[in-house]
Amino acid sequence: MIEAAALTVDMGAGQAVREASFVIAPGDRIGIVGESGCGKTMLGLALMGMVPDAGHVSGSLMIDGIQMVGAGEVTWQRLRARRVAMIFQEPMAALNPIKRVGETVMEPMMVHLGLGRDAARARALELFREVGIPDPEARLRQFPHEISGGQRQRVLIALALACDPGVLIADEPTTALDANVALRVTQLLVGLAARRTMGLVFISHDLAAVARATERVMVMYGGDIVERGATDEVLAQPRHPYTRGLLSARPSSGNMRATGGRRGRLPTIPGSVPPLAELAPGCRFAGRCPVELKVCNGARPPRQGNMICHRAEEGA
Amino acid sequence: MTLLSVEEVTRRYRLPRQALWSPPPVLTAVDAASFTLEAGRTLGVVGESGSGKSTLARMVMGFERPDAGRILFDGQDLAALPPSALRRLRPRFQMVFQDPYGSLDPRRTVGWSIAEPLRAAGAEERGKVAEALDHVGLRPADAAKYPHEFSGGQRQRVAIARAIVTRPALLVADEAVSALDMSVQAQILNLLMDLQDELGLAILFISHDLAVVSSICDHVLVLEHGKTVEQGAVAQIMRSPGTEYTKSLLQAGGLL
Repeated sequence: MIEAAALTVDMGAGQAVREASFVIAPGDRIGIVGESGCGKTMLGLALMGMVPDAGHVSGSLMIDGIQMVGAGEVTWQRLRARRVAMIFQEPMAALNPIKRVGETVMEPMMVHLGLGRDAARARALELFREVGIPDPEARLRQFPHEISGGQRQRVLIALALACDPGVLIADEPTTALDANVALRVTQLLVGLAARRTMGLVFISHDLAAVARATERVMVMYGGDIVERGATDEVLAQPRHPYTRGLLSARPSSGNMRATGGRRGRLPTIPGSVPPLAELAPGCRFAGRCPVELKVCNGARPPRQGNMICHRAEEGA
Repeated sequence: MTLLSVEEVTRRYRLPRQALWSPPPVLTAVDAASFTLEAGRTLGVVGESGSGKSTLARMVMGFERPDAGRILFDGQDLAALPPSALRRLRPRFQMVFQDPYGSLDPRRTVGWSIAEPLRAAGAEERGKVAEALDHVGLRPADAAKYPHEFSGGQRQRVAIARAIVTRPALLVADEAVSALDMSVQAQILNLLMDLQDELGLAILFISHDLAVVSSICDHVLVLEHGKTVEQGAVAQIMRSPGTEYTKSLLQAGGLL
């Protein structure tokens, strides 16, 4: 169980995460969406106690009843892998290239759970079966470069599950994969969360994957959780201008807007996410927002219901 | 006018021998693929990893020779051209890759990288780099910056500027928007369409994502393990996919 209240990560140049509050209960499946540089990964790292040294974490983060803001590395080490585990982006970079993948998966069980080699090996084999790796005995002995991208992602999931975590954070788990493989990995994560009553935090900019994987979603922009709610509702009826922009930019033939005799173009959000130091002090989305008011650039928008927006009352 | 004509093109790779005395197994990466691309039009090539789409792109670029079949660019058989003639033809067809960071030299200014195809062709550089930057929505002053000073989307714009600096007739885009955020992806797709309208570019658009393909392509070729399982108008194939494989690609992309 994770309870975050006004959780903030200050990187010096600016706040990568600003006053995030949410609860992740056992079995919950929560998506975090937004463009690169909006704080999704930083929020995930904060939940793992792995914010880079330059960052300062404040607010409150309770994991299974223990206050983790200000907790030392020793406390975090007791929790990591067992209570919260993370699947990092880029499966190739996350696996040691000169170690057999079986060894990599066995290591946390020997370190954190104190299992002997044989017990760890038996459990690694069990995990490989659980995540659907074919011919698991042979796989244990292989090196990362010998297996495909989809299988590598399954190995990483097995690695994250090694110490039976209560919450699994998956950072862009499907981004580097083919659509078909991505679909199967998503289904695997959903199945695991249900079977193990494990919380799942699914970080992705792929809205189709988030729609499949999660029940609730948080949309992040510039470190703020600008909109949240049931995944179906937010994706079907986005209210925040940023969520709307993201959804309408999805490439598809039905999304094209033709203008002045030219063939259709995709609707876009103008500009790009600014660097932390250049974020607007008020609404982070000011400057790119199509329905901006004068007040937006200066004052911080209030949180109203599921949204942080100056225009929340008019339904943006 | 037919710009690119691919006729029954096959490419095989010899895999590592599995036993000492047995012949090495052969992988047919592309199996008798045929299509034509008209000037100014866009053809999508879709398939999963290992379907042969990148091999097809490399052959169209003349980086690899087909084992069978012909690739005609402007009526000239690429595989039959001597290297010097291929070099002379190079400015007419250019490529954009998935990872702009890997395809730009980190120690050179982007202006230097953009001018590379001009230098290779022995062409006059002056003014052309600034013009290319302008075409892709960057400022001429950006030529003095280094790749790390740009965001992912801007870097892809730089890569596109380099590809169009010689005013090619054909652009081969291999997963050119796959690594980008959805909002940036839309901007780059729109940019490609703008450039096509302005410069009359033909685009061979390679992607695993049918949603992206449907937004920019007129026609599409679906590859599975090197075999062409379906080809035709995008709208038609989206409406009634003719094979289970295409259907599964549509489903995986959330389009069915």
